[in-house]
Amino acid sequence: MATEILTLTNVSRIYGKEATKVLALTDVSLSITKGEFVSIVGPSGCGKSTLLNLMGALDQPTRGAVHFDGNSLGEMSRGELTDLRLQKFGFVFQAFNLLPVLTAAENVQFVLQLLGFSRRERQSKTTEVLDALGLADVADRPATELSGGQQQRVAIARALVGEPVLLFADEPSANLDSTATRELCELLRQINTDRGITIVTATHDPLVMGYTNRSISLEDGRVVEDKSNP
Amino acid sequence: MKHPLLSRVSLIYSLSVRNLWRQRRRNTILLVSVICAITGVVVLNSLIRGMQLQMVDQVVYNLNGHITLHAPDYRSDPAITRAFIEDSNEFERKLESLNLAGWATRIKIPAVVMSERETRGVQIVGIDPVQEHISIVADLPIEGTFLVDSADNRIVLGRALLTQLRTKIGHRIVLVMQDINSKSIEVGFQIAGVYDSDSEGMEKHVVFVGKDALQQFLGSESITELSLRFNTRLIPPNGLETISHAFPNLEVVDWKNIDPILAFMYESVNAMVYVWLAIVFTALVFGLMNSFITAVLERTQEIGLCKSMGMKSSLVLYQVVTESLIIMFLGLIGGLLLSWGVLQLLGDGIDLSAFAAGVEMLNLAPKIRPAIVWQDINIVIVATVFLALVASLYPAIRAVRLDPLVALRD
Repeated sequence: MATEILTLTNVSRIYGKEATKVLALTDVSLSITKGEFVSIVGPSGCGKSTLLNLMGALDQPTRGAVHFDGNSLGEMSRGELTDLRLQKFGFVFQAFNLLPVLTAAENVQFVLQLLGFSRRERQSKTTEVLDALGLADVADRPATELSGGQQQRVAIARALVGEPVLLFADEPSANLDSTATRELCELLRQINTDRGITIVTATHDPLVMGYTNRSISLEDGRVVEDKSNP
Repeated sequence: MKHPLLSRVSLIYSLSVRNLWRQRRRNTILLVSVICAITGVVVLNSLIRGMQLQMVDQVVYNLNGHITLHAPDYRSDPAITRAFIEDSNEFERKLESLNLAGWATRIKIPAVVMSERETRGVQIVGIDPVQEHISIVADLPIEGTFLVDSADNRIVLGRALLTQLRTKIGHRIVLVMQDINSKSIEVGFQIAGVYDSDSEGMEKHVVFVGKDALQQFLGSESITELSLRFNTRLIPPNGLETISHAFPNLEVVDWKNIDPILAFMYESVNAMVYVWLAIVFTALVFGLMNSFITAVLERTQEIGLCKSMGMKSSLVLYQVVTESLIIMFLGLIGGLLLSWGVLQLLGDGIDLSAFAAGVEMLNLAPKIRPAIVWQDINIVIVATVFLALVASLYPAIRAVRLDPLVALRD
């Protein structure tokens, strides 16, 4: 039986106050099952990133509840949420977001250092993940000297190296050409199938959507469709 | 195997160093300003301390010593009737445990000196020349000869007094003073020599005679003061209490009581050193804070990214503080090295002889030699660390308060 690892119950997110109030999400209820590769799709401004941020414990709902592994994120302290993000989640952001002062390998090691791994373990795990993602030859290059595709792969390596339960990717192909996007999607699917990591990605790219096995469509902050992909 | 602390310390250090290096031009300027501020504080404080200690040296050196012992009423009426018995063996025994450069017994009484032409009021100082290696007497430039021993019944005058009396070396002069029975006596002395001093006041008013010879004229075997000089520039802690305890029947006076104006100036200089330090470091703290705030604002997105990936707020805070500490530590090392270099250059002192009158009034030596007081250096070190923490705290708190989500959107 499939295990639900993330559930959202009647989640709404409102930004701003009375006069400038914006309803980013309205009454969203859904659950993510372990091992799924889910895309959250919809036009710009429909609430994809907001939903992803709520799932990733980066934001709190105005109403409703988000549960991870049966624990309510709303009842966790800021420190507990930070630990949760570090130990259970991996993030890949739209603008790559590597630390420019570090090399590719150091960016990957960053998470392992936060997790407290020894230098030897960090090096071994980093080498392993960089090799797996075909980044061995750029490991010692500063992040600023990598191409867009390479930076996005390093960001994925960084998200994977801590062996997260859930990987969130916010518009991961936004700054990539179609070839790089296809390579990225293949990589994500491989991670999903080979490593069993659950992936949730926000995208408006049909190419990315085609690689996922479930699509949740949003429109004006509401879920309008939730379907399995063939 | 996990080493959370070591791993995180290494991360913070590496991120801090890289971030500082990334903005190397700005941080170099910052570093130079810290080095200049620390150098300014250390060098100026050393000069002020040098001046301060030279003031003390002058007082101590000028026939006072660090501590002087008198009969109880002597200071209000300095006469031979208010003297005490000279017992060298007892003095030796009581003083042997102290870290003394030496001690000297003296008779200091007022007198009137008359030459064939002029009359002046003076202070006669009866000395044992052998004991005076602790005072200015040993270094006075002499024309003619100085007193040979304590029994020498000749006199040595200051050049200014010699001029006023319009007399010469080898001539005789007469001193009128009160003996042990409070009777005025007149004693003739032959002028053995003339001394020169930086202080015209001393030249005009202080004359030296042999102590034993003076005792004979006064009909007393007593002395009016026992002067002590320590091997240190200042009185060691508890020095005054130890001596008071050893000589309960005598009035024990330290240099601060001998020269209260100088003592006030000495304390004022202490305050001045710390005020100067506070002014420079306060000015520096705002510059540093401004720079670190800019650094945090420039890295808003990176800080948001780190927090979104699970970097705890405490680590974000430590990172900003570490950057500040690194700058300040380098600044401190650079500042202390530069200060050392500047103080080496100023080793011979700054010549103030062009301002002779002011220098004498302030009891200063004609050359100001810098003096390093380690307590001041320690305060600079502690203040630098404190400054690094204060300057980085506000920017660090701003970084901690950044919402990872908002920061990422920026």
